[in-house]
Amino acid sequence: MAKKKEQINKSRGYWAETWIRFRRRKLAMIALCYVIFMALVAIFSPAIVGTKPVVCKYKGGIYFPCMGYFNPSWENSVFISDSIITSYPVRLKEEDPDSWAIFPLMYNDFNRRVGEGEMPGRDANPTIDGHPSFQNPMGTNIYGYDVAAIIVHGTKTALLVGFVSMSIASFIGISVGALAGYFGGWVDLALSRLTEVVLCVPIMVLILALIAMVEKPEIWHTMTIIGLMGWPGIARLTRGEFLKLKQSEYVAAARALGASQFRIIFRHILPNALAPVLVPITFGIAGAILAESGLSYLGIGSSASVASWGTILSEGNRNLSMWWLAFFPGSMIFLTVLAYNLIGEALQEATDPRQRGK
Amino acid sequence: MSNKTLLSVQNLKVWFPVRRGFWQRTIGHVKAVDGVSFDINEGETLGLVGESGCGKTTTGRALLRLIPASGGKVLFGEDNVLMTYNERLKKLRRDLQIVFQDPYGSMNPRMTIRSIIEEGLIVQKIGTPKERLERVMEVMEKVGLDATCLYRYPHEFSGGQRQRVCIARALVLKPKFVVLDEPISALDVSIQSQIINLLVKLREENGLTYLFISHDLSVVQYLSNRVSVMYLGKMVESAPSEELYRNPVHPYTQALLSSMPTLDESRRQKRILLQGDVPSPMNPPKNCRFCTRCPMKLPICTEVPPPLVEVSPGHKVLCHRAK
Repeated sequence: MAKKKEQINKSRGYWAETWIRFRRRKLAMIALCYVIFMALVAIFSPAIVGTKPVVCKYKGGIYFPCMGYFNPSWENSVFISDSIITSYPVRLKEEDPDSWAIFPLMYNDFNRRVGEGEMPGRDANPTIDGHPSFQNPMGTNIYGYDVAAIIVHGTKTALLVGFVSMSIASFIGISVGALAGYFGGWVDLALSRLTEVVLCVPIMVLILALIAMVEKPEIWHTMTIIGLMGWPGIARLTRGEFLKLKQSEYVAAARALGASQFRIIFRHILPNALAPVLVPITFGIAGAILAESGLSYLGIGSSASVASWGTILSEGNRNLSMWWLAFFPGSMIFLTVLAYNLIGEALQEATDPRQRGK
Repeated sequence: MSNKTLLSVQNLKVWFPVRRGFWQRTIGHVKAVDGVSFDINEGETLGLVGESGCGKTTTGRALLRLIPASGGKVLFGEDNVLMTYNERLKKLRRDLQIVFQDPYGSMNPRMTIRSIIEEGLIVQKIGTPKERLERVMEVMEKVGLDATCLYRYPHEFSGGQRQRVCIARALVLKPKFVVLDEPISALDVSIQSQIINLLVKLREENGLTYLFISHDLSVVQYLSNRVSVMYLGKMVESAPSEELYRNPVHPYTQALLSSMPTLDESRRQKRILLQGDVPSPMNPPKNCRFCTRCPMKLPICTEVPPPLVEVSPGHKVLCHRAK
């Protein structure tokens, strides 16, 4: 029996083939590695740069105060009540001499200046007029905040903006496109006109208007608006694919077998329509990151408590002599957007059915 | 072969509306199929021939409800296929299946051969997963595919093998009636005969009834008991296979048959070359559809619709000249 199973060799599916073609493109592979690296940086950002211990033992308990960087409420309240929160290295020992703590790789914070005597053996920020130094590899801004810390924590913001807004956009875009393409007729007419209307709205202006109405603009607002306005391209492409595929003979064959519309849409059309739609989604992520940076640059994208590449960039604009303020975040935005575009381009070629077998 | 009628098509019409302008007003119809009638007896194979665009594929698809018909009846058992809906239609679909022309285009490229063949059973909720797999293997063996193909994808197969998969998919539900929509015209000549022999074998083993749509006259002759000739959405001649090939009455059929290559010197006749192109099906010639190209046109042809004349038992012709 075991031998027989070996004979029935399983062959590569569509995505495996796409992956093989994608892998041949060196530049795209480098871009993919870069994006994965950035995602890891985003996930582990509190362990890379921060002033809160990754792990610590305090009054008999084990805590992970660095989780407070993801959500303030995840930092145990005992540290707040004992007012340890901004000076762990000194205050922990004062309160509990038996305590120990493992600190992040770099002791710096993205939303406050590290002061004098906060960490034994470390100078206060900024050193040498904020120039890049051993203590602040990418320098500090005018308030003495560490730029490297903002960049590392800003990775989280950038990726989150990209993924959240494009998840919203793809969900709406694919649903609208699928409905319009599959059902046709007046459904198509109505949805296509709606798509065109949304396509005509300048996103930046709309965001400016909406942010002005919100009392305390947050990063979530920006993401939602980019997502809510970014779907027309995806919808149009999905509609086109659905129009094409619903005429295909395998859909006719499925109907002849008695398959339901649900099954035809989700089992036969959608999987085949999805590959080309992935490309605008990838480009959309790059666009969303750029939009968020632009908004932060204008000072309206996110609240000051959130680290964002665009915010430092705008500080660099106001302080031209501090070149590091423009150079590092600018390079990050450039590289990340470039990486997503390279991936999108490679996906476009790898998913192209005409490339089959090559 | 019995004389019991399995499927009866009566006055089938498929008109596609032609829309123009901003308001998408209907400005006319393409009469792809315009009043076609035929009966198919149990175990019989009806060949449907005609040139491209004459409506033969549309007929095949309309009677399986793959494209909506504009009028007429398709009687199968007690049901009018065209007026059946939901669960009843789903049940009917078990008995009525189709094999398409392009075996690659008619398979979902993301599905393995197993899931392609199994789909009918899943959709119709037949059997447990184990029973379904057994049935799939059984059909695959019948069409000459071995079990190593189960988890492969369509693009890994040759044209002939793909068509075998398509035939297996059609047969997995044990249908009574199968529409073969030019099943061999996309294949290599060397493979064509294999597939034809397979179709004949399956017909014999399973008592299938075929509607064989093709423009290859010699294949139709080999496979069919009766042949119907279509021209511009109308059926112009219908006769038992032998009778039609020996004694074609309609000028169009004669022209078609004269284009058939033959090795038999005695049967070789002068080729009848038709003048002009097929008229637009949106605006077909009035009365006799063939009158614009007919080499034996009479004055009456453009004035009065041609009658359906039964020249000999079972041999019907739509022509003024037929007696």
